[in-house]
Amino acid sequence: MELLATFSGSHAALAAEQALLGAGLAVELIPVPRQIRSDCGFCLLAEFDPGTAESGLRLLRAWGAQGLWLVSSTQDRASSRKVKNYERYP
Amino acid sequence: MNDTRRTVDARGLACPQPVILTRKALAEGGFDLLELIVDDASSRENVVRFAGFVNCVIEEVVEEGAESRILIRPGAGAAAAVTARVFADPIPAPFPLQARPVTPGSPCETVFIASAGIGTGDESLAALLMRGFLYTLTEGETVPGRIILMNGGVRLAVEGSDSLVNLRRLAERGVEILACGTCLDHFQVKDSLAVGRISNLYEIAGLLTQGRTLTL
Repeated sequence: MELLATFSGSHAALAAEQALLGAGLAVELIPVPRQIRSDCGFCLLAEFDPGTAESGLRLLRAWGAQGLWLVSSTQDRASSRKVKNYERYP
Repeated sequence: MNDTRRTVDARGLACPQPVILTRKALAEGGFDLLELIVDDASSRENVVRFAGFVNCVIEEVVEEGAESRILIRPGAGAAAAVTARVFADPIPAPFPLQARPVTPGSPCETVFIASAGIGTGDESLAALLMRGFLYTLTEGETVPGRIILMNGGVRLAVEGSDSLVNLRRLAERGVEILACGTCLDHFQVKDSLAVGRISNLYEIAGLLTQGRTLTL
């Protein structure tokens, strides 16, 4: 699954990125999408498989993730491009 | 019948001198084959590319350690192609640019990046902003025609760069990534270039003055 995690600031986001990368998880630091409000302009996009989801979530929370969103993609008929959707993850 | 050969030794000369010497020799003519000797990879690539632009055929490129011997056979009209442009030292005109279609509706044709980060004040913030900017470019509906990297900007395109993944995504969408050979040499990262191709001052100057350019 693809998850997006927001943080209180860029330092926290960077620290979390290094921690998760160090744990061998697939994460990427990206600007916060327009659809999401955050205290920080950057967030982590994480791709977890069933085997890594639990540890990944635990790490994100341990490293200060303020909000978590489940990411899904749909096809925009007009432009034929993929559009990402964000749903709050409990 | 033996081909007449002229040899030009451009070893030890920095970009764009090897291309300038190639141009001068081709303009003078009087030989069947031109042998250019260079001692770095970016000069080799620039000379090969230039020769192609002016109707020449690369007969052979022999690499001997750090040196390369490039054997060029001028095609019909090569001398005319070279002299068709006005070259005024010490600021020679750029050689013919590659015609390349630009994404229709793209906001700019060229993004010029001359450092590894955006802005001054804090180096880690500058690096973070650059990562974010390049990511947002990948998410755009349109993309620029090319990204030119000079000075510290070339570091974005080498192995281990945090921005490499986004530059590769942009390259997959057709964005041309050009990294200055002199700069890659200076930082000793030429062998680590992981996306795009090596360019030179001739080409870069021409592209920057050609159309809409966004400078970061």
